[in-house]
Amino acid sequence: MNVQVLERELDRLEGLWGEGLSDTYRAYLETVSDHEPEMQPKLALAAALIEVGIRLQGLGGHAAPATILLMGDLCLARASRLLADNATQAVQVAFAKAIEGVSAAAASGKPSRPVRELLVHALSATA
Amino acid sequence: MIAGRLRFETSHATEFVDVTKLIRVEVQRSGLRTGRVHLQSLHTTVGLAINENEPLLLRDFQKLLERLAPGDAGYEHDDFARRYEISVDEPVNGHAHCRQLLLTGFATLLVEEGKLVLGRWQSVFAVELDGPRHRELALQLDGEFEKKRAASRDSELIELELARQLMVDPDPVAVPMRRLMEAGGKRLRPKLVQLASQIGPHHDALRAASLAAAVELLHNATLVHDDYVDESTHRRGRPTVAAAEGAERAIAVGDYYFAKATRLIAEIGNTEVTSTMADALEAICAAQIDDVALRGAFPGDHDSYLRVVRGKTAALFAASCASGALLSDAPPDVVEALRRFGDLLGIAFQMADDMVDFSPSSGKPVGLDIRQRVLSLPLIYAAEDRSVGPEVRRLLAGSLGDEEVDRVTELVTSSDALRRVGDEARGLVEAAVRELESIELDGLRPTLVGIARSAVDRTA
Repeated sequence: MNVQVLERELDRLEGLWGEGLSDTYRAYLETVSDHEPEMQPKLALAAALIEVGIRLQGLGGHAAPATILLMGDLCLARASRLLADNATQAVQVAFAKAIEGVSAAAASGKPSRPVRELLVHALSATA
Repeated sequence: MIAGRLRFETSHATEFVDVTKLIRVEVQRSGLRTGRVHLQSLHTTVGLAINENEPLLLRDFQKLLERLAPGDAGYEHDDFARRYEISVDEPVNGHAHCRQLLLTGFATLLVEEGKLVLGRWQSVFAVELDGPRHRELALQLDGEFEKKRAASRDSELIELELARQLMVDPDPVAVPMRRLMEAGGKRLRPKLVQLASQIGPHHDALRAASLAAAVELLHNATLVHDDYVDESTHRRGRPTVAAAEGAERAIAVGDYYFAKATRLIAEIGNTEVTSTMADALEAICAAQIDDVALRGAFPGDHDSYLRVVRGKTAALFAASCASGALLSDAPPDVVEALRRFGDLLGIAFQMADDMVDFSPSSGKPVGLDIRQRVLSLPLIYAAEDRSVGPEVRRLLAGSLGDEEVDRVTELVTSSDALRRVGDEARGLVEAAVRELESIELDGLRPTLVGIARSAVDRTA
């Protein structure tokens, strides 16, 4: 992903890049080789934003303070838009189901499979 | 004729899933009075059966299938070395395909007087033979449909679709969301989706209802998080999810329905609709951050207010109108005119909502926005007022107890602020209505204009 595109996608979330988002992004980048080359960075960023967003919100743990929750919400929304513009329908649906699963488990006080594992699996979804 | 899909998850390798209730809901929401429901399995390892839902009998059926096509009989289909182009996760399921051959993949059910014609002991089963998996049945309903007033039927469709969606969700998330939904709400956004979906050449009432319900779920998901952020204790007269069940649950409920709504939208399969809704969601979240940031400069100014409200409220109104039109394949100029209509209406709606905070007859505690330091146009105008402005600004700069909130309310209502906001909101509605003048709306203009005008002429 070129610098301008990355900057646009990180608007208001720039601070997160140095706080773990870049490492998470790189980890997902290694798992998207089956997708079209131009889509790979966007899908990896979407997955990274979801993982970081959920962590920021404190989903399944202690609730984040309001301002941090809103940052987490924006991460999820940005990821959703990246997926809407770049992912297949099957991948979009699989990502949504992964978040549904994690949040339902959190609401029930039950453990969930690791988010990264779920999202890597979602990235391989086919119709 | 109405077409759709029944979707469900199975949880066992072999399972008799009773789908009778799901079909009844589809019949009810379609308004089919006399006709037929055609069902077709979309899988080679899911069959259909009509029989008695008695647990021991279902075990008998399962054993019968196992006897007729045992799992360990050795199937050529499972000899991957002899097959071509198989996927890496190809299951060993020759037995499941053979069992499906013993069942049927199709069923036609009769409908009379709006009800499925089934004998006392008959239930309709989707028979899972290679689960657990996500499964789909294709469904078509044809015959004579009710000729109720369209608007009334559309409202029912939204409610039925919302009820259907909540019915399949786990209780820890569904119960708080149901409580919030049942407490009321104007359902303006889904109404806009439904109306706009009738404008283009391809109107599909069930797809429109799915999109409308997803929009309402998305809206309510944002409210659940908002209430935590604003520390609100009540919404629509009931305790908020955060107040009743804690912040952790509120975050989980909001996230669940955010994800579910985006999934429902994605499943509709219209890329322009998906992108439109995703853009709106992003705008809402960005505006929420701006809104909270601006509380440091409370009450803010008109430009900041418009910027926040355009994202926080108007984005979803605009997306509702545009996505409904996109769903029906309306021409681009119509989609864009409706998007502008929704944007202006959304801003006007928020202004009217701000005024409700100063109305004792609204049923809500007066002055809540002041107490929570929420961006509010009447407060901005009162703070600018030559006579009451200095006192309003002084009070808002300090801590806001009951006495201060009452005094600010008194100052706002005694000033020209509420009249100015009302005039501005009505002006925006008229601008919104003008957006509709140049496009062909297939007779829906009066309804859209009525919704727009009633959105600002309200007390609650």
